[in-house]
Amino acid sequence: MLKLKDLSKTYSKGGVRAVDNINLEVKPGEIFGFLGPNGAGKTTTIKMIVGLLKPDSGNVFIDDIDVWENPLEAKRKISFVPDTPEVYNKLKGIEYLNFIADIYGIPKSIRQERIEKYLDIFELKNAIGNIIGSYSHGMKQKLVLISALIHEPELFILDEPMVGLDPKSSFKLKEIMRERCNEGKTVFFSTHVLEVAEKLCDRIAIINRGKIIALGTMSELRNSADDNESLEKIFLELTDDE
Amino acid sequence: MMNRILSLIKMDINNTYGLSAIKYNLTNKRDKWQIILIPIIILSILPSYYFIVSVIYNMYDGFLNIGQKSMFLLYGILIAQLILFFTGLLYVLSKYYFSNDMNILIPLPLKSRDIVIAKFISMMIYEYLTSLPIALPFIITYGIRGNEGLLYWIYSLIILLFVPVISLSLASIIVMAFMKFTNIKGKKDLVRIIGYLIMIALLIGFQLKVQSIAGNSLMGEEDFIYKLITDSNLFVKRLGIIFPPSMWATLALNSYMNFTGLLYAMLFIGVSLLSFIIMVLLSERVFFDGLIGNLEVYTSKESGKVKVSDFNKSYPSYLAIGLKEIKVLLRTPVYLLNSVGGVIILPIITVMSMFMEDASILVQLRTLIGGNYSLINLIGIGYVTALGIINCVGCTTFSREGKNMWIHRTMPIEIKDQIFGRVISSLFVQIIGIVAILGCLAYVELMTVQSIFWITILGILGSIPMTELGMMIDAYRPLLDWDNPQKPMKQNLNVLIAMAIGSLYLLVIGFLAYKLMDIIDIIFLYGILAVIFIISSYIFFGILERLIKRQFEVLE
Repeated sequence: MLKLKDLSKTYSKGGVRAVDNINLEVKPGEIFGFLGPNGAGKTTTIKMIVGLLKPDSGNVFIDDIDVWENPLEAKRKISFVPDTPEVYNKLKGIEYLNFIADIYGIPKSIRQERIEKYLDIFELKNAIGNIIGSYSHGMKQKLVLISALIHEPELFILDEPMVGLDPKSSFKLKEIMRERCNEGKTVFFSTHVLEVAEKLCDRIAIINRGKIIALGTMSELRNSADDNESLEKIFLELTDDE
Repeated sequence: MMNRILSLIKMDINNTYGLSAIKYNLTNKRDKWQIILIPIIILSILPSYYFIVSVIYNMYDGFLNIGQKSMFLLYGILIAQLILFFTGLLYVLSKYYFSNDMNILIPLPLKSRDIVIAKFISMMIYEYLTSLPIALPFIITYGIRGNEGLLYWIYSLIILLFVPVISLSLASIIVMAFMKFTNIKGKKDLVRIIGYLIMIALLIGFQLKVQSIAGNSLMGEEDFIYKLITDSNLFVKRLGIIFPPSMWATLALNSYMNFTGLLYAMLFIGVSLLSFIIMVLLSERVFFDGLIGNLEVYTSKESGKVKVSDFNKSYPSYLAIGLKEIKVLLRTPVYLLNSVGGVIILPIITVMSMFMEDASILVQLRTLIGGNYSLINLIGIGYVTALGIINCVGCTTFSREGKNMWIHRTMPIEIKDQIFGRVISSLFVQIIGIVAILGCLAYVELMTVQSIFWITILGILGSIPMTELGMMIDAYRPLLDWDNPQKPMKQNLNVLIAMAIGSLYLLVIGFLAYKLMDIIDIIFLYGILAVIFIISSYIFFGILERLIKRQFEVLE
């Protein structure tokens, strides 16, 4: 579903290799966790996948479509939730959702059903007619989540989705992610929260200093490390630079 | 207290003009080429400015011949002060009430007085950029042609320094009072701003009336010629009542050699200071009142609920983008003031300044035009086309997205839909501008059915390439990193660049129309204009499509 091929990015400032020749394949129906310490290159990688940052070299394929060759086609299949929910403060919540639904061309009967379903799940029903400027950080995040689910994307990409969500909402989000995978759709997300990754993910990649240093299912990662270590321990050992 | 205000002023100036950011860009980034951009912009404005200055220079003779050369000075100062006052009404509102730094300043242990004084002074520094280019040609011409002495130049310097004070103090007082009294719970910004624009229009209307009364009474006097010969300051004294401070400044400069001059200078400076002090005292009482309500976000449980009617419409992408743009434009006060406010106020100010002197110009104008209304139509079309760039919608369209830009870059939106949608939002503002222009024409009784038709049709056609031109510049160098909506709109160099390039485009077409006007039938000329607008829209569209595609990829 998602394939990264020899992906690299160097930032002009200081010549730091933020992402260094990454290769990765995520299969349909998988929940894939992308782990790494701060500044490891998680967000840079995600930005290259969703079309926000042009790679220096390498390719990103979504369902065998090159994101940077056929952006429109590729973007129809994905949706993206960034780490900070920046949305139009002057629009009402419902106006924003309708705007997104218009862009994806969702007919009104379907959009109503889906929007109402997710508004119920995230308990945003009573605020959706107010302008977004009046929302708290968490409410904005929920709004962006809902907007990303309206068109039922085949690949759901989230950057640090649990940050800022209350426990109930973050539980619901995990449920949604699981449901989507049961339907054969794919979820790719980055996180620092190791417990989430441990419980939720089918497979995990750990990135450090722009390189993938570990990749596999939880049990594969455990096998490669000492017996029955927690993900936290594995993570700390792998990303420990001296 | 002084230190506090000084550091506030420093911070405000730095923040407003992005000095630190400019310095950073010049030393650290590849944007160094922007240094050459500024002289280019200035150079492109110079020819038209030179033309205006030479007209002013010749005007001096006209007033000299009728023995009223002080009127020449009054012109310069009066125009500068009135323009500062009316633009100040817009500027003060966004500076005092709708700039986001208030969220930071209010929790600090500052008196409202400190904030207002700091903002006022930083605003005054900015307004010298407006007042000096207007008043200086008059003052210098008067000084050089009249061989005035050193004292004249000293007086001029002091008076120029004080020119913005009264205008901006008055504007501040009006704005603060307005904000205090309209601060009604639940009233939306939109309603407030429309009310504000209506108030400005009424003020301008009132100003027009005073002018025509002053002009008529002067001309109508029986011993007018006798007075004209005996009193060399007759015009100034009579027409100065439009805005007395300008009259005092003029008389101070005109009689700098004697005691009267000194008295007038003291009067001018004294009243300037007084208006400033009144403004500051008033700010103590009303500034925070008007402000704090403004920062509240209006919500209610009932309006928050989702309704079935929220879902009964769906739009194609381009229309969804256009509607979103229009909503954000109307609901963000700074955007509203600069786009819609601009296209409404500018035609009114133009009409006002045309009939500045007296209403009889109108009669002359009508005789001059006779039955030939096509000239009015052509000017109207040119005016609407110019508003297409002055409305700032196109040349800030991507900058205004700011941190929300990711939405457009990660969603499957065709580039042509991006362009259509954004052009639609500009045309929405343009239609308001067309209504304002037609309204002004109706007011001076120069409107015909034909002008409604041609100005509307060709004005809209002309607005399209202008908007696209602005969009090209904004797509090329969008200003996305901001947290205050003032930045993409008021402090965006793209606006200036777009105006410079847009005025060149207009100049070429205007020149062509001028040359063809007497040679071919007016209907043909309209046809030619339509063809030019359509072809350039098409060409700009092509360039824009490629540019946006590239920029959406390479932006970081």
